[in-house]
Amino acid sequence: MTAERPILPYLMIAPSLCLALAIVVWPIVELSEIASHSVNRFGQLRDFVGLANFEALWNDPNFIASLWRTLVWTVCVVGGALLTAIPVSLVLNEDFHGRGLARVLVMLPWAVSLTMTAIVWRWALSGESGMLNSALMGMGIIGTNIQWLAEASTAFPMQIFIAVIVTVPFTVTILLGGLSAIPDDLYEAAALEGAGRWTMFRTITLPLLKPFLNIAMILNTIYVFNSFPIIWATTQGGPANSTDILVTYLYKMGFRLGKLGEASAVSLVMFAILLVFTLVYVRLSMRREA
Amino acid sequence: MDGKLKRSLVCWLILLPFVVAGLFPFAVMGITALKPQNEVLNPTWWPSRLAFENFVTMWGATNFGPALLNSLIVSVVSTLAALLVSIPAAYALGRFRFRGQGAFRVFLIITQMLSPIVLVIGLFRLIAWAGLIDNVSAVSLVYGAFNIAFTVWMLQSYFATIPRDLEEAAWMEGASRWRTLVSVFLPLAVPAIVVTAIFAFINAWNEFVIALTMLRSQSSYTLPIQIFSLVAGRYTVEWHHVMAATFVATIPVAIAFAWLQRYLVRGLSVGAVK
Repeated sequence: MTAERPILPYLMIAPSLCLALAIVVWPIVELSEIASHSVNRFGQLRDFVGLANFEALWNDPNFIASLWRTLVWTVCVVGGALLTAIPVSLVLNEDFHGRGLARVLVMLPWAVSLTMTAIVWRWALSGESGMLNSALMGMGIIGTNIQWLAEASTAFPMQIFIAVIVTVPFTVTILLGGLSAIPDDLYEAAALEGAGRWTMFRTITLPLLKPFLNIAMILNTIYVFNSFPIIWATTQGGPANSTDILVTYLYKMGFRLGKLGEASAVSLVMFAILLVFTLVYVRLSMRREA
Repeated sequence: MDGKLKRSLVCWLILLPFVVAGLFPFAVMGITALKPQNEVLNPTWWPSRLAFENFVTMWGATNFGPALLNSLIVSVVSTLAALLVSIPAAYALGRFRFRGQGAFRVFLIITQMLSPIVLVIGLFRLIAWAGLIDNVSAVSLVYGAFNIAFTVWMLQSYFATIPRDLEEAAWMEGASRWRTLVSVFLPLAVPAIVVTAIFAFINAWNEFVIALTMLRSQSSYTLPIQIFSLVAGRYTVEWHHVMAATFVATIPVAIAFAWLQRYLVRGLSVGAVK
């Protein structure tokens, strides 16, 4: 059917390919060039310096700290979101009164821009006039106001908490798609054999949901790893860089301190990490097709 | 019936903590937006009266109108640009087999993985080289390009559900490929295109990093940047105005989303696993 006009599909994908290439390939070439030169504040390239910018990063304790914090951030947010999304999607897959409403309520945080969510939380978390403190005091959970964003020990866990809340809806969406693909007769047959709910979950639901869990995990890892607005709009990585992750570190380096060479090196390091994730993702989805 | 009632109760109880946490910011936003100015710093849940005038004073004080217009322009233009190039690509992926098809898919996945923040310095230089810093149209184009992976993915998984027989029947009757496309395929694809368009629109509406770096003057700010500029690096923040602005920027999008979210379950999960 397609043999007579083999050019057509290429013509059809060409515009999207060109546009996407332009915004990915050009920046990567630029980044490699900047990262391997010394650059002044105005972005003019000077001498070729090889890997010196990467070395400078390696010697910067803030970079190493941000790298570790990015790991903690990604693992906690992705893990927290999956652990929350599994029970939530199982419940939303049940038939109960008000399910339509429940789905909307669960999905809603997704619709709001992360920037707006983060700004609202920043206000809710403020020490004296924040409504979280007043709510928690009203319920008798805390006795005095907590300055949530003034220290990394409370700010960072709060940022993780906010990120989990906004990551759950997407995860639930993927899992609901997976759950709806499991045929009911599997459960009926298991029930005839006298299997309990937990056994059914372990032997039917979980194995069949696994590809969807994998996809959710990998896509979330990528989104969370790249997530900028929550931390930027609540603390801008402060106080004293103590809530910086790689993306906020990168932004400060590039646009605050004007260290374009090192910032580009951070970009390339992130690109390399993401590429590994991507390859894992492609491997996983190819294996299922085969 | 009784069994279902009991189950409903249990289900809602399990969901309750998550729903409360998810709705908490909406409550804070709504209540603060409606508090009289002198009560804003007082963290009570019940204002003495509802201060609807906040929405009126906010409009002037926050430069809301121009930012709203910029957000609309950026979102509409980028959505149209993404659709224009994605519809043929999704059609080609779904209806043809060609060399490089797999490579094209992998390439799209890679662009999906690279969020703008990773490339932001390179993008900034690209835009600066073209002399388009502070240009709303340039930002639209960048958004459109970053949206392509998502729109192709969604469209393709919806297109796959449109039966091929109808097109084949039209060819049998002698209609050309182009004619079949326009009068048979595209009308069937309209719902899918509309849903995809709305999600692309929301993506662009909510984007932050590109706007933060490329838009430099207040006259070109989009809503997220405008509202961010009201709280970032300021000594005093007019929180009732900020929350009123956030409220107005959020509620229409939230309603559109609430109405459409069920279409996402099919589109995203089918697309993700295929």
